[in-house]
Amino acid sequence: MEADELLVLVAGGDQKAFEDLYALVSGPVFGLVRRVVRDPAQSEEVAQEVLLELWRSAARYDPGRGTALAWVLTLAHRRAVDRVRSARAAGERELRMARRANGPAFDHVAEEVEAGLEREWVRRCLDRLTALQRQSVTLAYYDGYTYREVAERLSLPLGTVKTRMRDGLTRLRNCLGGVA
Amino acid sequence: MTSIFRRGELHSLAAPYALDALEPKEHKRFEKHLGRCEDCAAEVRALREDAVRLAWSTAAPAPAALRDRVLTAVRNTPQDPAPAAEPRERARAERPPSRARRSSFSPFLIPLASTTAAAALVVAALFGVQASRTQDRLDQERAQAREITHVLAAPDARAVTGRDAKGRGLGVVASASQRAAVVTGAGLGSPADDRVHQLWLMRPEGKPRSLGLLDGDTPLIATGLNPDATSLAVTVEPSGGSPQPTTAPVVQLALESLGFGE
Repeated sequence: MEADELLVLVAGGDQKAFEDLYALVSGPVFGLVRRVVRDPAQSEEVAQEVLLELWRSAARYDPGRGTALAWVLTLAHRRAVDRVRSARAAGERELRMARRANGPAFDHVAEEVEAGLEREWVRRCLDRLTALQRQSVTLAYYDGYTYREVAERLSLPLGTVKTRMRDGLTRLRNCLGGVA
Repeated sequence: MTSIFRRGELHSLAAPYALDALEPKEHKRFEKHLGRCEDCAAEVRALREDAVRLAWSTAAPAPAALRDRVLTAVRNTPQDPAPAAEPRERARAERPPSRARRSSFSPFLIPLASTTAAAALVVAALFGVQASRTQDRLDQERAQAREITHVLAAPDARAVTGRDAKGRGLGVVASASQRAAVVTGAGLGSPADDRVHQLWLMRPEGKPRSLGLLDGDTPLIATGLNPDATSLAVTVEPSGGSPQPTTAPVVQLALESLGFGE
């Protein structure tokens, strides 16, 4: 069964459907949260909150506004970004940076995973963006920076960053569109 | 600041919005705008799907322990009603806990002090699945809940659970500073008629110390724990318990990660 159908059942309190939904989305949710949050213990915590929230608020999913997977991953991304931002605000930034500087542990782990083909294509398509498009998109999406922070880090005007983000995503769509 | 929210400007926020890259105030303004601007909604929808491709490519297998925790929490967490809709009849399917067990002993840790959500989950897990409870049981649990809260509230409170290949295990929340722990058995089943499950504190020096009898999924509160304790163990003993273990432990759980064993 697809995530869309499962979510409807989950909204009705079907725990078996939730187990199926879990099997479908836990990998993407966990992977995304870990990519953004980085710290393993915190990633697990956030992923757990997100997955539980799927159960609690399944009734809020509105098929008219996008696919179930987009809804799930949007939720996961928001929670992950919230966590990263509050950690930064709490002055843990240096700590995180230090951890990150400790090497390619995460990317290495990610390599073991089977999102295989899709991962490869996304990577390839990201490579086809201009450097500024790619940085604008990934600093925001994978590192949780606001577009204002991205502008600051890249020393670009706000308007330029917004445009790069949109162009970057659109170009990604065109590139990936040929794959599916 | 209002000038940046002119219509055209607002529209240009679609991409940062799809990437969750707006600051809270802008985020709210833009969502408001979305409700009135069909074009924007369509664009955001498309951009979101693009962002999801970025998400999808990061997929990684979630830790097995996460599944146990989430499914346990789900069994104990009520759902929010649908927004702006008639309250739907929610047939809560009463299902037994999943029989699928992990094949290896997998301990995990949650720093409790860092999130109340984690603490709430632990409490939910500790109380386990009980469709109906008697009033006595509820009163007893309420009293225990106070003590459990006390342990959970300790700044160094940590949770650890472990299961063996047969799904038998222990869940523990402990505070080394309070020298207290809340312990529940998991998957231990019921011992034979005239037998009980007895919980022991194992120490490198000295004999095992009885912490009491484990009854089903009822949390057992252990106080006065020795800081040098290395593990907890459960044995099957004759009714009423024994002064010292008379059988080999059915499960054991190391306390090192909880701040004991110094």
